[in-house]
Amino acid sequence: MAAPSPLVEFRDLTVSYGPLVALSGVSGAFPPGPTGLLGPNGAGKTTLLKTLLGFLKPDSGDIVAFGLDPRTRPLEVRRRIGYMPEVDCHIPGMTAAAFVAFAGELSGMPRDEAISRAHEVLYYVGLGEARYRTVDTYSTGMKQRAKLAQALVHDPDLLLLDEPTNGLDPQGREEMLALIKDISRRRAMSLILCSHLLRDVEEVCDGVIVFNQGKVAARGPIAALTGPRRSVYDVRVKGDAAAFLTDLKDLGCEWRESEDGYRVFMADGTGPEVLFQTARAAGVQVRYLRPGAESLEDVFLRALGHEVEA
Amino acid sequence: MPIYEQSYRRYEARGPLRTVRFWPITREALRLILSRRAFLGLLLVGWGQFLVRVVQVYAVTRFPQMGNVLPVDGRMFGQFLGIQTIFTLFISIFGGAGLIANDLRTGAILVYLSRPLTRRDYVLGKLGVLLALNLSVTLVPALLLYLIALALAPEQFATWKLAWIGPAVVLHSLVLSLVMSLLSLAISSLSRSARVAGLGFFGFVFGLEIVRGVLRAVYDRPEAALVSIQGDLQSLGNTLFGITDRAFHLPWAYPAAVLAVVSLGCLAVLRARVRAVEIVR
Repeated sequence: MAAPSPLVEFRDLTVSYGPLVALSGVSGAFPPGPTGLLGPNGAGKTTLLKTLLGFLKPDSGDIVAFGLDPRTRPLEVRRRIGYMPEVDCHIPGMTAAAFVAFAGELSGMPRDEAISRAHEVLYYVGLGEARYRTVDTYSTGMKQRAKLAQALVHDPDLLLLDEPTNGLDPQGREEMLALIKDISRRRAMSLILCSHLLRDVEEVCDGVIVFNQGKVAARGPIAALTGPRRSVYDVRVKGDAAAFLTDLKDLGCEWRESEDGYRVFMADGTGPEVLFQTARAAGVQVRYLRPGAESLEDVFLRALGHEVEA
Repeated sequence: MPIYEQSYRRYEARGPLRTVRFWPITREALRLILSRRAFLGLLLVGWGQFLVRVVQVYAVTRFPQMGNVLPVDGRMFGQFLGIQTIFTLFISIFGGAGLIANDLRTGAILVYLSRPLTRRDYVLGKLGVLLALNLSVTLVPALLLYLIALALAPEQFATWKLAWIGPAVVLHSLVLSLVMSLLSLAISSLSRSARVAGLGFFGFVFGLEIVRGVLRAVYDRPEAALVSIQGDLQSLGNTLFGITDRAFHLPWAYPAAVLAVVSLGCLAVLRARVRAVEIVR
């Protein structure tokens, strides 16, 4: 079966803020479904979203959303997108119900339908009981939900979520991710989840594009990026760990420190027996050994080109 | 389907893009501003002069000799709008200062600009709020006063000789309201705090008025009026309504040019400041 055509495609895209180049010749695509946009702060994720919305004009390259160029037809693009910005956004003095209905109306919905949808969406995001309170009085978690509701109200084809779990406590974060998963999986809405938190992206998305310093560092389905391409072991040793790790490096393995030991990425075609042989040669005891899969964090750190010792 | 799952349904009825997109912005902002009782009070006070002038018109039509002291003619409308300028200042401060500043502070600007709206739609929407409020204390009462004068003294006002009053009222009210509204919006866009923007507007308008007063005292020339927004408006109003005042006696083109430059400057500021992305160079 042919792969579905992407909702958004960008090719050799360069965007700069004056002398500062935020995106440098990046290419990629967002297919239908949930896709993560991952990278440290300042990597260029938000710049890409803002270019997609037509807020920024690229210096060079192309970007196309739903077959439309945001530079020439920004309104048509924006009406099909729901944008949840990273920063706080609300209208002072407005209740959540009025705020979300207003957002719907700004998206082109008739007033009556916008009001009706606002109530539905606010119930959906869990603000049903609090919808007549002004957004100014909301907690951070509630404000995040109100932001999500205003992005959803016109039922966009593509939802852009910029750091949706920012400032949330662990429970709030779990609830927000559950909501986003529901939107994506059960409501079949495509979304781009922009985050610097690996777990958020890993939990929600099928594919990921990793940005670093304005360039695409890695991209692809998360399953393929983190799949059992090579063996990974969490290891704890007792004795001269430095010698053990140096020997592993000589054998083509990579490693990085983990919480209480080391995460070792085996060289192609090697197995755990190499670990035991190397440990014996280095005179250390293997006190803990657990096989694991390469996580998105590993991919992320490797894509960023540091942290992993090889 | 369980009830809890019915709270989200797809919305399929997407229509064509609207041609008039600024109206919801104007309407909602007006609703929020008019929900403040203090502001409603300000608008009501703004109509106080109208009542006084109605009594004046009535009294002069009944007792024509009063017209020697309180003439009811074109000058009365010029004086009426001159005094109403004070209310447009307060409306611009209390109603206009937060219009853009608050959106910049709370990030609401992104809610607007991430929709199918242009920056022009946004500015038009906000400008519509101030125009509506300012016209409600200038054009509306002045035209109503004119209609009352027409009704009470048709022999005086329903003549070709005074037919210019109606268009003059409309023109001066529009210029006055537009300049004040643009200035207030531009200053609002320069700050993230409504309070700072309000003080900025107050300082700008009254500061220039003080400069005008000083220049006038030192040089005793009508050109001093050109440095002040109020002076320019007064000078233009005097020309329109035939009021003779040496302090503002200038060819109409001079104040009109200054007000045009100020308005264009305000539009340039709005163009630079109303953006979804703040670029710090």
